[in-house]
Amino acid sequence: MRSLIAVLLAVLLLPVAAFAGEWPPVVPSAKDKCPVCGMVSAAFPDFLSQIIFADGSYVTFDGPKDMFRYLLRRKDGKTIGVIYVKDYYSLNYIDARQAFFVTGSDVYGPMGKELIPFSDKEDAKVFKKDHRGREILHFKDVTAEKLNQPDTSP
Amino acid sequence: MPGFQKQKYLIDFTLSALLRRKGKNTALVLVYALVVFVLASVLFFTQALRREAALVLAGAPEIVVQRLTAGRHDLIPESYADAIRNIRGVSDVSPRLWGYYYDPVFGANFTLLVPQEFPYGRGNIVIGQGVAEVSRSSIDNILPFWTHEGRLTSFKIAEIFSSDSQLISADLILISEPDFRSLFGLAEGVATNLVLTVKNAKERPIVAAKIKKLLPDTRPIIRDEILRTYDSLFNWRSGILLVVLAGAGLAFIIFAWDKATGLSAEERREIGILKAIGWETSDVILMKFWEGGIISLTSFLSGVLLAYVHVFFTSSFLFEPVLKGWAVIYPEFKLVPFVDAFHIATLFFLTVVPYTLATIVPAWRAAIVDPDAVLRT
Repeated sequence: MRSLIAVLLAVLLLPVAAFAGEWPPVVPSAKDKCPVCGMVSAAFPDFLSQIIFADGSYVTFDGPKDMFRYLLRRKDGKTIGVIYVKDYYSLNYIDARQAFFVTGSDVYGPMGKELIPFSDKEDAKVFKKDHRGREILHFKDVTAEKLNQPDTSP
Repeated sequence: MPGFQKQKYLIDFTLSALLRRKGKNTALVLVYALVVFVLASVLFFTQALRREAALVLAGAPEIVVQRLTAGRHDLIPESYADAIRNIRGVSDVSPRLWGYYYDPVFGANFTLLVPQEFPYGRGNIVIGQGVAEVSRSSIDNILPFWTHEGRLTSFKIAEIFSSDSQLISADLILISEPDFRSLFGLAEGVATNLVLTVKNAKERPIVAAKIKKLLPDTRPIIRDEILRTYDSLFNWRSGILLVVLAGAGLAFIIFAWDKATGLSAEERREIGILKAIGWETSDVILMKFWEGGIISLTSFLSGVLLAYVHVFFTSSFLFEPVLKGWAVIYPEFKLVPFVDAFHIATLFFLTVVPYTLATIVPAWRAAIVDPDAVLRT
């Protein structure tokens, strides 16, 4: 009898364990403000970015630039589950840590010059040509110096 | 509450004073209401049409690509879609077939459209509520059509749809692709135009410019441009009507100004008597304020109400020919009632408030004169 319950429990808990590794994007409400600039993130759906922590808590941003600013100076010590940004062409959420970012383009976000995210490097190249971008950066190449360059900072 | 009681008595007095000069005040209210009626009708009508256009365009594709031959709209080869599909930012391209069909029996122009997915197959059509009324048909009836060769053919009505906007359902017929091609004699591989999905609004002008460069004989049209065109069209039409009616408006302003600012000798006497029997200057001004308020509010409310009935219940029969213009090919349709609070407020502050204020100044000037001097003149 006891082993039967154990089997039942295992079957019931299995999907929970499988889902624990996944953090779907949250739908921000009007209360979710960008911790860097204080703007309501939901007002700028095309540039919305979010960091979801391993414990399920999250922060949302009105653009990838503020997301990077937060990321580079944060002191919360929490483990990050996933970071979402929106692909410029498809407007779908993509994993920021796999994404390419074009700096210095003529496309402005809610906070002026913006890092424009792409899931595909070819897309980023075409965009850079069309919109006079400066360079294509991988997620890990975005540093405080890059953010503070005159043409990417607000 | 003594203050409230005082106002009540003042309004009571003002009303009976207004009734004493019944003819003059009725004429004033009538002219005033007429001006508000005309202004509100134009506002309601253009607002409702604009909203109708927005409803129609809400489901419209983000970019439409047409082919031009010698400056005229021409059929577009479906192969153009493959070239466009490779442009970054375009998430979907599909050819669309649609056209107009003039029905000599009902004397109406119908819009025939092939939807992306047509569930009923060949020989069937889906018609709008307005088409069903014009042709007096119901589901499972057949509708006759003349093909481009002059042969008579007929389709079975599989469904009748209604929509939020009567402009859409008034003349729309959905048909299957093979039926459409054989009815109008369209070859395989060509379409009326191409419709594009471009998710990011910022990228739409760039995509349009790329299409123009890639396929020089095409014309890409962005949805926002259509909206702007409609907007300026309606602005222009309501502008014309307002210019025509400006004369009437000016005449009213002169009339109202004269009535409100100048006091007749009789009214000066009345104010003198009121002062003599112990009214304060502030009481006289309050009384005049209520007088102006009652007259302009009555006229404003009746004018707006009449305009609402005129536009939404009688299809604005008074100036329909001027305002609609482009819609005469449609069978009759009614506008969905829609009133913008902002416009009502604008109208209110342009009519009621200035009129009420204009009545107070001369009353104040008469009220500060010594009652003895007024009564002696």
